Amino acid sequence: MGASLPPKEANLFKLIVKSYETKQYKKGLKAADAILKKFPDHGETLSMKGLTLNCMDRKSEAYELVRLGLKNDLKSHVCWHVYGLLYRSDREYREAIKCYRNALRIDPDNIEILRDLSLLQAQMRDLSGFVETRQQLLTLKPNHRMNWIGFAVSHHLNSNASKAIDILEAYEGTLEDDYPPDNERCEHGEMLLYKISLLEECGLIEKALQELHKKEFKIVDKLSYKEEEVSLLVKLNRFEEGEKLYRVLLSMNPDNYKYYEGLQKCVGLHSKIGQYSSDEIDQLDTLYKSLAQQYTWSSAVKRIPLDFLEGVKFRDAADNYVRPLLTKGVPSLFSDLSPLYNHPGKADILEKLLLDIEESIKTTGGYPGRSEKEPPSTLMWTMFYLAQHYDRRGLYHIALTKIDEAMQHTPTVIDLYSFKSKILKHGGDFTAAAALADEARCMDLADRYVNSQCVKRMLQADQVPLAEKTAVLFTKDGDQHNNLHDMQCMWYELASGESYLRQGDLGRALKKFLGVEKHYADITEDQFDFHSYCLRKMTLRAYIEMLRFQDRLHAHNYFRKAAVGAIRCYIKLYDSPSKSSTEEDDELAKLPASQKKKLRQKQRKAEARAKKEAEVKSEEAVGGVSRSGKRNVKPVDPDPHGEKLLQTEDPLMEAGKYLKLLQKHSSDSLETHLLSFEVNMRKQKILLALQALKQLQRLDAGNPDSHRCLIRFFHKVASRPAPVTDGEKLISGVLEAERPTFSQLHDKSLMEANTIFLEQHKDSLMHRAAVAEMIYCLEPNKKGDAIKLIQDSPNNLVSSNGLVREWKLKDCIAVHKTLEAIFNDHDAASRWKVRCADYFPYSTYFEGRHCSTLNGNSDSNHSHAENGSIPFLPSNGKVEKGIKNLAI
Amino acid sequence: MVCIRKATIDDLLAMQACNLFCLPENYQMKYYFYHILSWPQLLYVAEDYGGKIVGYVLAKMEEETTECHGHITSLAVLRTHRKLGLATKLMAAAQNAMEQVFGAEYVSLHVRKSNRAAFNLYTETLGYKIHDMEAKYYADGEDAYDMRKELKGKTLHQHHHHHHHHHGGGCCSGDAKAE
Repeated sequence: MGASLPPKEANLFKLIVKSYETKQYKKGLKAADAILKKFPDHGETLSMKGLTLNCMDRKSEAYELVRLGLKNDLKSHVCWHVYGLLYRSDREYREAIKCYRNALRIDPDNIEILRDLSLLQAQMRDLSGFVETRQQLLTLKPNHRMNWIGFAVSHHLNSNASKAIDILEAYEGTLEDDYPPDNERCEHGEMLLYKISLLEECGLIEKALQELHKKEFKIVDKLSYKEEEVSLLVKLNRFEEGEKLYRVLLSMNPDNYKYYEGLQKCVGLHSKIGQYSSDEIDQLDTLYKSLAQQYTWSSAVKRIPLDFLEGVKFRDAADNYVRPLLTKGVPSLFSDLSPLYNHPGKADILEKLLLDIEESIKTTGGYPGRSEKEPPSTLMWTMFYLAQHYDRRGLYHIALTKIDEAMQHTPTVIDLYSFKSKILKHGGDFTAAAALADEARCMDLADRYVNSQCVKRMLQADQVPLAEKTAVLFTKDGDQHNNLHDMQCMWYELASGESYLRQGDLGRALKKFLGVEKHYADITEDQFDFHSYCLRKMTLRAYIEMLRFQDRLHAHNYFRKAAVGAIRCYIKLYDSPSKSSTEEDDELAKLPASQKKKLRQKQRKAEARAKKEAEVKSEEAVGGVSRSGKRNVKPVDPDPHGEKLLQTEDPLMEAGKYLKLLQKHSSDSLETHLLSFEVNMRKQKILLALQALKQLQRLDAGNPDSHRCLIRFFHKVASRPAPVTDGEKLISGVLEAERPTFSQLHDKSLMEANTIFLEQHKDSLMHRAAVAEMIYCLEPNKKGDAIKLIQDSPNNLVSSNGLVREWKLKDCIAVHKTLEAIFNDHDAASRWKVRCADYFPYSTYFEGRHCSTLNGNSDSNHSHAENGSIPFLPSNGKVEKGIKNLAI
Repeated sequence: MVCIRKATIDDLLAMQACNLFCLPENYQMKYYFYHILSWPQLLYVAEDYGGKIVGYVLAKMEEETTECHGHITSLAVLRTHRKLGLATKLMAAAQNAMEQVFGAEYVSLHVRKSNRAAFNLYTETLGYKIHDMEAKYYADGEDAYDMRKELKGKTLHQHHHHHHHHHGGGCCSGDAKAE
């Protein structure tokens, strides 16, 4: 390094490197300038100066200098290494790898560069390259523990676990007998557990168990030891030993359901789908009765039997289970029992049970058959349970009656208000739901949970500004947006993105969705530092799990929602582009000249003001750096409301980016392929649309949307002009060959296929609506018949008590929109609305008779917000009050 | 009702969501990674019957100091799931692991002065004592109690036989943090 310089400058060069490493950038810069005064073309100095500037946020100068330095000294590994580091700092890992490789060509045994390269290879999952680099490092420095471990891990990641085992054993061979010293026992134990997990992965179960036993005294983490041991025992069918060990584990933690499941497997009483013979049920009952005596503190041991017991035994067990919890006032009792509602008959038993309890307490003051009086709260919690029970069954009216009764009984319990809000949401009155959630929030301003719940409801009611104001009460610096974003508060960003999308504010919606997408990119990035950290720390099992987690990160629910939202925005944007500048100019042209001039001046002033504000803000931000000495100050967002996002030239190409991720990570979701179909139809990519269609048919051919796509697709391709070019002929050929593979279309016209689909799903509203839409699409003159098909749909009763009907609110809203937007028939739509208002009396969308927006706000049908908010909800002063109270 | 188990990597996003929904002190994902990749034994979750994470404890070892001790970074239970003793169970699990795996002498934590519910849990149920008071510890200017609980000598009743090697693995090996 700096070899070509005279001694004085060579020392200065060392100072630059040292200053870079110790983050004393100004000092480094000074030294670099001193060298460059004498040797202005010195490549390595130019490069190091560039790297230093990069750390001082002078990016473009940095690239310029680093490139110049390299040009002046192409044979220097320093210059290449620096270039690689620069790319790495910008997350351009592929470019960085190339640079490192060039550097290594010049200096093949440079350990620092090899190590940096190996990190990038791990990050990019260049696994064969990773193995190679790790091997080199081990060859160069075989006395470093980390190099052995790194080599083993690289083989494991490269799907060669048995090689990894060999390496770890060779490494163990280099250790003294009395290894490890006291301060490395933890790490060494982790390494051993990792090796044993590799043996297990290779199917060498017996050997893994032997090794585990042999190394027992060296493994510090005894819980992991036992969990590993029991898993191996079960795999070896050594159930008796397994059972014993599970009992030991249960004595350590009697609330771990996995241990109970394992125990059941060991004693031959386990069924994946939870179905048992009556004999087995008796045995299970006995088992859990004995366990309950051993682990009196465990709640699991009391709850699990409710899953397998039936009939009277279930009733009695449930009775015993709920009584102490109602007396104690456990708010989660219903959510604890709600999985039982999927078991046939159990919901009815629970209903009867709780109604009996309610009746008994109301008349005698105590539980049925008991003379002891219950405290007054027991009745309230019983009614709370019943409200949740009826809500779950879709009987909102009864649920509201129960919750109101409970609130009258004890007006101070927040949970009741929160739950009433939830019932109203289910009933379709988002505005009233938000108002109640706000009431709940105001009952405990120090509790973020009720605050978040309220924010969520406000967003569902499309009250975004109010929601923001409320959320800000719990964010530290008062700048709630950045704070919620910085803390990766994804539920909030998604909910507000969805609200903006409903309201047609695509810029803000995109901003939120892409914000979530950015979190996932950051999370991917987060793993970088751990590639070296975990090798040192020896947390190898956790490290490998983390890498695997990262590989499937984009399958996560929040990411899927964000990507779906963004794609929907881009499709909408494509279908109805926002006002372009030419349109605005047109509007401007209509104005008289004097007004035009005024308007232009106004615009210019506004722009100048905005620019100045942004400058001040960024100065403040920079000032913050020097004052606090920290570097993590965020730059000002140049597009806080997503206006620039709207100006994209090619929305469908943008959509394509997120579509690709969905196709890769959520290929079993119908929505992925529906969106792919929509995007590719618009792009005229016939074969890609066909691919999507085939995926839809594979996943669910009976789905109404799958059916719509099928008919639309073949209707569309039939109307294409005769193929002329070779490409077009090729496509026609493929389509002709593919059409018969869709069995629904075999020897049938599209109209016939549509009719058959109707016959298969005659009773379903959504299927009928899809068929009707397709009739209209194929033969527009049959519009009347199509609408009649929808109107004649039966809304059957589904529940045994004859109170609940089949149709779902969100389906009926979708049908209403179809009538409005696709059939363009306002009369039919308003008839539909009247009918649905009767089915959904709480719905603000249909203006049902119980909905909160009906009185006093007659023009709410002009509101385009789907969730039926009142655009200007009068502030009830509660938010302001909340702010004040918190400030005090 | 609710399963108490060691957290896995797959729980981290849900833990973060749980934290953001109910606590004012929040952390980026990387901080959760840092915990689980440093002390995988010290993270526990409470998972309800439907698989939802309704509570967690996020804990660490303090490795720079001479006295080896654990620290509770964050503990949360959703409001809907209180009165089940989840916080107690989560804390007990993390504390056991600190002592058993790392040989922690004591465990420390911070609590807002105004948070009476948490303070009572720590003092009355879990046996923590006020060690110090840190003025303006929180970003909004509120003071914190620095609380501690001794761990050594109170070995838990582990009903099993042959493990004589109960001393910890020496947590104080002084590795640098990932941040």
